[in-house]
Amino acid sequence: MNEVMRKGISENIDIITSRWIEQMKDNFSERFLDLMPASVVDTTSREFTELMTSNLSDREKVDKERLDEFTEKIIHFGWSIKFINRAIDTFSSVVYELFFEQGILSDANLRQGVGIFSRWINPLRESIIEEYSTKWERTDSLQKIALQELSASLIPVFDKISVMPLVGTIDTERAKLIMENLLEGVVKQRAEVVLLDITGVPVVDTMVAHHIIQAADAVRLVGAKCMLVGIRPEIAQTIVTLGINLTDFSTTSTLRRGMQKALEMTGRTIVEEEE
Amino acid sequence: MKMRIPILKLKDTLIVSIQVELDDQTALQFQEDLLDQLHKTSARGVVIDLTPIDFIDSFIAKVLGDVIHMTSLMGAKVVITGIQPSVAITLIELGIRLENVTTALDLENGLEKLTRELEA
Amino acid sequence: MNHRSSIEINTEWDIVAARQLGRNEAKSTGFGTVDQARITTAISELARNIYLYAGKGKIEIEPVRVGTRAGLIITASDEGPGIADLQKVMEDGFTTSGGLGAGMPGVKRLMDDFRVETEVGVGTTITATKWLH
Repeated sequence: MNEVMRKGISENIDIITSRWIEQMKDNFSERFLDLMPASVVDTTSREFTELMTSNLSDREKVDKERLDEFTEKIIHFGWSIKFINRAIDTFSSVVYELFFEQGILSDANLRQGVGIFSRWINPLRESIIEEYSTKWERTDSLQKIALQELSASLIPVFDKISVMPLVGTIDTERAKLIMENLLEGVVKQRAEVVLLDITGVPVVDTMVAHHIIQAADAVRLVGAKCMLVGIRPEIAQTIVTLGINLTDFSTTSTLRRGMQKALEMTGRTIVEEEE
Repeated sequence: MKMRIPILKLKDTLIVSIQVELDDQTALQFQEDLLDQLHKTSARGVVIDLTPIDFIDSFIAKVLGDVIHMTSLMGAKVVITGIQPSVAITLIELGIRLENVTTALDLENGLEKLTRELEA
Repeated sequence: MNHRSSIEINTEWDIVAARQLGRNEAKSTGFGTVDQARITTAISELARNIYLYAGKGKIEIEPVRVGTRAGLIITASDEGPGIADLQKVMEDGFTTSGGLGAGMPGVKRLMDDFRVETEVGVGTTITATKWLH
């Protein structure tokens, strides 16, 4: 029976593939097909149907390497997990119908056929979904690491003055890292004034402000002063609207003005050389 | 097992370097000793260096805060120096801000700051 | 594999012993200096609370591993008077001992997980966990 089914599939792979594409177009959003060029749709679909049949002869065992490759590809194409699930369902029903049409399946051997079907499709579905989620988890953790690496280093600009440019969204985890880097840096660089530049921080809500205030407080404890620079108009607006109190802070709109202030605070000033 | 924190006098400044982990009794003893010395020497400034201290809990923080407050009542000025990053972060997370405290990176810096403030 | 260390809190000196043990355990679990300070401070607060409010009790420190995560569980237990108004105790600045009132909410902020079980007249058990990142 297995052998008959396998043969039935490999002989009809073209029909299965084209029917599958058609039904997918009808049943589901056409987005994936719109976004992919026709030739890619064709090869990917063929690859999909081939992958689906690869374990039929050697039951329960899925070709790990091919599965890997394929999963990577469909993630790259942006197929969602919901879409993949639907693709597998559609595939099964296409094959099912075809088998009936060709007499491979009939009322007589239906029970046996269904058994083989589920032992064949289910492990495949599981492997694909598992592979998919592992890939995502890996991507997710890589991105987290990348984000952490992006976080905040303290740059010594002048003697006694350092700058930390903050870029991106600040959550609690990142805030902790920023605070540690900031304080270690202050002590190591013997900075007396640090400028926290928030030009690159898209949103300053109560939470972010709270983290910034805490960081500034901690900087004060180790013996330096913290200045907040790069406050854009919309950020000034949200700060006031939310009722966030930054009055203990020295703040300026631009890094340049902050730097001038920091030089003043450390008893220095920029002079233009005369000819 | 009572320890005493040594208090040194340099011109009109008292210098304290806390080198050991503070237990409650030692902390309270220190408070008493410092106020005593202030009274005896009529020093105008105090520098307390905490560089070797790797943690401060709310009790020690309270003793420190009290010392600073009492010292200012006696007309002298305190500068705390050498608070480690890990200690600063822990204090802030505990919710202890140690407001109105002058701080400096290290002893040398602290002495400079104190001189400047006393001159002003 | 997991060894649980325990220190009885009866005198003020036991607070020092408990935090020294905590510092060593934190170090050997692989925590960085900031987390070491957080753990040591949390233990100090918990031990002091036992000493101040219950008179005696114990601090237990146990390294844990759940899947790929490693951490340190600190348990502070006593058979003291219990906490009548837990909500109040968790407020910043609330104190009955003339302290800073930073203890309980502070410990919660310093650690990752924090749980209090208390019954008036029976005692209090506080469990706080810090995870290695």
